[in-house]
Amino acid sequence: MRSLPLPGVAVFAAIAVLPFLTGSSYLHHVMVLWLLFALLALSLNVIIGYLGELSFGHAAFFGLGAYASAVLTLQTGAPVWLGLVFAGVLAGMAGFAIGYVSLRIVGPQFAILTLGFGSIIYTVTNYWVDLTRGPMGITNIPPLTLPIVGPLTEARGYFGVVLACVALFAYACHALMTSRTGRAFLAVRENAPLAASLGIDVFRTKLLGFVTATVVAGVAGGLYAHYLRVITPELMSLHYMAALIIMVVVGGRGTIIGPILGAAIYVVLLEVLRAFGPARLIVFAALLTLSVIFLPNGLVSLWPRLMAARDRRQARLVSPADAETSP
Amino acid sequence: MDWTLLGQQLANGLVNGMNYVLISTGLTLVFGVLRVINFAHGEFYMLGAFLTYYGMSMLGIGYLPSVILATIAVGGLGVAVNTLFFWPLRREHEFTILLSSLGMSLLVTHAAELGFGHDPKYLNSPFTDDIVEFGTIVVTQQRVLVFAAAVVVLGATYAAIKYTTFGKMMRATAQHAEGAALTGINIRFVHSFTFVLACGLAALAGSLVGPLAMIFPTVGSWAVLKGFIVVVLGGLGSVPGALVGGMALGIIEALAGSYISLGFMEAIGYAIIILVLLWRPQGLFGGAVR
Repeated sequence: MRSLPLPGVAVFAAIAVLPFLTGSSYLHHVMVLWLLFALLALSLNVIIGYLGELSFGHAAFFGLGAYASAVLTLQTGAPVWLGLVFAGVLAGMAGFAIGYVSLRIVGPQFAILTLGFGSIIYTVTNYWVDLTRGPMGITNIPPLTLPIVGPLTEARGYFGVVLACVALFAYACHALMTSRTGRAFLAVRENAPLAASLGIDVFRTKLLGFVTATVVAGVAGGLYAHYLRVITPELMSLHYMAALIIMVVVGGRGTIIGPILGAAIYVVLLEVLRAFGPARLIVFAALLTLSVIFLPNGLVSLWPRLMAARDRRQARLVSPADAETSP
Repeated sequence: MDWTLLGQQLANGLVNGMNYVLISTGLTLVFGVLRVINFAHGEFYMLGAFLTYYGMSMLGIGYLPSVILATIAVGGLGVAVNTLFFWPLRREHEFTILLSSLGMSLLVTHAAELGFGHDPKYLNSPFTDDIVEFGTIVVTQQRVLVFAAAVVVLGATYAAIKYTTFGKMMRATAQHAEGAALTGINIRFVHSFTFVLACGLAALAGSLVGPLAMIFPTVGSWAVLKGFIVVVLGGLGSVPGALVGGMALGIIEALAGSYISLGFMEAIGYAIIILVLLWRPQGLFGGAVR
């Protein structure tokens, strides 16, 4: 077993304390949403950050997982954990089929193709009224039930479950990136022909990353469905497709803390901006556009930048002496 | 087999296809010349439709003058979009440009929801009530107008790209921007003008097709999605690809909608395009993948 990364453990320990700092169930709810989106953003990060491809279809796998789990548990009375497994399997199967087709293409074409696939899943969900109840959505989804605790209807209990999932997946990402497979991912991202020349099967590496990401997105969708207990096809709309990518990019693609941070920014910003009333989404879009333009590597790139600025300042303080010696 | 139904659906498909061609020609031109995927392209379609609506209701001018005015206004907006947005970003990573154009698209959509209201509006055209008959096939005048106007405008655009000095400058920039700059071509001017063309074509599509359905502020994301599908099908950066891809999508959707299922029409359209891409990943008219 690999050693646990200490800073990561500290971060998750700090997050675990958060719900005990407040008694407000509203804040608990915001925290659960944050972690759900963090799980999704982490999974999308495998595609954007590690494989270096932009996927617009990720919200569709999230929605697919949500619908799979909700429909299975409601129609057959299956336990919720089975629903979550089913959500992951179905999303992974769809991810395999879609990845198999579209990973042959790279760059903008791939982004657009995943957008097309995402739209197909959205359209089908919207019109297959017999199964999904169409735009009306599915209500009365059963809550997640744990063996000893019983049904989890409170946000604070759910927080623990989702946090465990996020921590597990974050650790999996960490372990992946320190393994041979993870290095193969990065080699494929940086230079696919060169990676192929070294004996890495580019297509299989990409497919592995894509399917992993979609399985986790499906499970996150299932968790979302059993938490909110109401789902509509809007989960797969362009708004969420864009929001997920923005979380990863604004936080910092290719890192583990970045997507978690990006999800926090997204959830908190949308809540804080309620003060702007109807102009909320305008301010939100403007902030995001500016952050993408001025911080293309995300918020995590801010820290090294600040450190570099500090070093420069310090260098300037001692520079008069250097200036005389330098030509 | 019901030939009238088939003919009718083909006629509808051709008109919808022309709409897709108008949208995607601009998208493919911008990609060809600037190597940029412009997510905000659909917003110009939306703005074209709404400016036509407000031109008629606030300036009190007729439908056709309003269409022309909206097209010119949105085309002019293209210069501003390039100067303020895409030109300063031209050296950034393609993800940055794609995502910032996505951000701009969200910005314009939400601003439009606030400014124009959420509720769908009906763009009134004098041609929607009268019909033209071709044998047993019946088409509204508005649809004939969409088709005819698109043929004229696209014909003029193709001719301009092919035969004018400016068209040569555009094609040179598309082939190799630095090489073009070395021969004395003002790249910035070419970029600006490409945006004028792209935005103008999208706005024209919006204002012509607006009366065939309701217009609403989020119609831009629909338009840009269709445009994307068409340019990927035809080949990114290829102008003939946009023509063939748009027509193909229009006809496929019309036939699938009438013979298979109206609700799943769009999904079937996408599915067929994916099959084509399995066969030719770079699109029908696209060059080799770089």
